[in-house]
Amino acid sequence: MTTEPRTTVRVTHRFSASPERVFDAWLDPARAGTWLFATPTGRMVRVEIDARVGGSYCFADRRDGEDVAHTGEYLEIDRPRRLVFTLSVEKYAQDVDRVMIDIVPLGSGCELTLTHDMRAQAEDFVGRVEEGWTGILEKLDETLG
Amino acid sequence: MLTAMQSTLDHTLLALADPTRRAILRRLSKGEARVTDLARPFAMSLNAVSKHIRTLERARLVRRQRLGREHLLSFNPQPLDEAAAWIEAQRAAWTARLSALDAMLQAEDRAAATTPHTRGRPR
Repeated sequence: MTTEPRTTVRVTHRFSASPERVFDAWLDPARAGTWLFATPTGRMVRVEIDARVGGSYCFADRRDGEDVAHTGEYLEIDRPRRLVFTLSVEKYAQDVDRVMIDIVPLGSGCELTLTHDMRAQAEDFVGRVEEGWTGILEKLDETLG
Repeated sequence: MLTAMQSTLDHTLLALADPTRRAILRRLSKGEARVTDLARPFAMSLNAVSKHIRTLERARLVRRQRLGREHLLSFNPQPLDEAAAWIEAQRAAWTARLSALDAMLQAEDRAAATTPHTRGRPR
């Protein structure tokens, strides 16, 4: 199975808090559990974080009586600049995605850019409605060979 | 809802991973066709083509209509739209998470401001 990441979602957010505080909020179980992978209707029942390169994490959010586990492994930990981890949600898919977080100081706060690389080839067939489906499928054919 | 969308995406990707199936979809995106018409341009048995069509049907990319003895096939782009929606849902989820992180940090700031110097400072 090809898992080369091709589709990217990128989100940027500015914080008035320092890079260190924003960075630490990702790796401190008590605090991360309140916002990361938490849902308004779910209840975070388990947060395990082994904050070292090669260490794993697990966030289990109980949704409609069922535990949805977000799991992964830390690939890079460079406080307070960069954090990279894999992400998979087994309940939904077998894919392993990669999430990169880059934090740069901005004034007294910071700017965080999150890049989520996911599923191979997905972007080759989405978001091109204007070309018509025939054009999209032809392009996909060129890409996939 | 999300589960259904992601499962659709898996089926969609699997169905699209084969050149013959993509050729079938390209043909059908131009209009309906019978199974026998579809099979003609391919250098493979009707049985082999039928198998590809079944994979596309499972992914809901192809619909089959029975008109007497004829089976008429048509292209259904909806799973592709759902795949696009899934990507958009991921973006929305991260935006919401980062807003929640921001709210948590600001709540910490407010808590620190309203209960000043109560910790670690002898009277």
